[in-house]
Amino acid sequence: MNPYQVLGVSENATDAEIKNAYRELAKKYHPDNYAQNPLADLAEQKMKEINEAYDMICDMRKGSNTSSSANNANTAYGANYTHTSYPDVRRLIREGRLDDALQILNGVSGNSRSAEWYFLMGMIFSRKGWSEQAYTYFQTACRMDPTNQEFISALNNMNARRNYNPSGYNTVTPAGCSVCDVCTGLMCANCCCECFGGNGCC
Amino acid sequence: MFGYITVDKSEMLGKDFEAYKAIYCSLCKQLGKDYGVLSRFILSYDCTFFAVLSLALKDDCAGFCQGRCKFNPLKKCNYLKNDTESLSLAAALSVITAYYKLRDNIADGVFFEKLLCYMLLPLFSSWHKKAAKKYEKIEKAVFEMSKSQFDFEADENCSIDKASEPTAKMLSDIMSMLVPYDDASQRLVFSTFGYYLGKWIYLCDAANDYDDDLKHNGFNPYVILYKDEKSQHIFDIEKSLNYCLNEAVNSYNLMEIKRFDRIIDNILIHGLSKKQTEILRNKE
Repeated sequence: MNPYQVLGVSENATDAEIKNAYRELAKKYHPDNYAQNPLADLAEQKMKEINEAYDMICDMRKGSNTSSSANNANTAYGANYTHTSYPDVRRLIREGRLDDALQILNGVSGNSRSAEWYFLMGMIFSRKGWSEQAYTYFQTACRMDPTNQEFISALNNMNARRNYNPSGYNTVTPAGCSVCDVCTGLMCANCCCECFGGNGCC
Repeated sequence: MFGYITVDKSEMLGKDFEAYKAIYCSLCKQLGKDYGVLSRFILSYDCTFFAVLSLALKDDCAGFCQGRCKFNPLKKCNYLKNDTESLSLAAALSVITAYYKLRDNIADGVFFEKLLCYMLLPLFSSWHKKAAKKYEKIEKAVFEMSKSQFDFEADENCSIDKASEPTAKMLSDIMSMLVPYDDASQRLVFSTFGYYLGKWIYLCDAANDYDDDLKHNGFNPYVILYKDEKSQHIFDIEKSLNYCLNEAVNSYNLMEIKRFDRIIDNILIHGLSKKQTEILRNKE
């Protein structure tokens, strides 16, 4: 493996360039981006590669200022829960057997459906690509048990991806006064002031 | 499909745009070659994107050469040097999707639209027959989409996820065709990518048709869910679209692309977002 190739930089790149490239890639393949997604394992593998490449370059250039990556072997989401009423369902989801998992959960009668039941339903639907349905399940799970970190992080994660637009622009502005409106307003006011003899000092 | 998968020219390098245009022109030429000159009119940006993605995975690229456009002989165009199978595949996708769209219009349209579609049907059928024979998998994927779409539209309480499933599934199947069968992990990447891209396309179209469907009582999963004016729910609609776009981009990041990455970046990151904004803003 050529670590420079993995990070997409030339061998003559400066330490800062390498660090930047590493950060960009680490952001791209961060496990948060792939939570509740069938591609989570692949992304984790990619992240590992990037971490290794960065560490390798740092070792080769030792003595210079680059610091080693945190090498945070991020564990997959939902792997470190402490207590569960549905160990089988979780195992099935991990193995990708979503229909079997769904069948077990559907067998649970209406009044004994716990917060975890809704959370696991959310996980299944999210993996299936039924994101809107999954979102309502996660919301219900968090409403029923607002203290559970696992549920909260799943919901937050989903919120982040729903609110962010890949182009980086947040496109639709709420009705009323946006930041842009304020700016234009100020600019207009400034022009008026100049017109009326003020020295543009308003 | 609907022509939503376009580039954002303002965010693009000149050379990338040239290459994109050359692929667009090559696909047009390929359509003419495979299905006759009239089929060139169904050329779409969606299928061009499919051609770009397919070409991006090939080991070799023969480069471009100059030629003349058949419709405007004064214009010089660039074309791909070799007629690759990627273009044939994209051309087949074009005619097969166009055929099912026509059938769909015949089922839903008003009188004059129906009449026009009926007149075109023999022509489209002949192209479709030829393409379906050569590319059975595409035919199967599109046929299944059209069938389950029809079934789902009978459901008065159809959810957003359910309504978008047929289109998502179709694109998922078609995208995974681009990867060799034995490469399981890349197949998963491509099918996930196709799923969310298909879902995004379907939901964008639903958002686009919202007001019409509300007025004329057409099938639309957003109308089923929100029931009243679109402007009240623009943020919720945007969030559901953002999610699909993010998932598609995340999947794309795991693809092993050999070239044209800047073009695909542009389409996925800028082109689609721009289209999404246009759709949401127009109706505000």
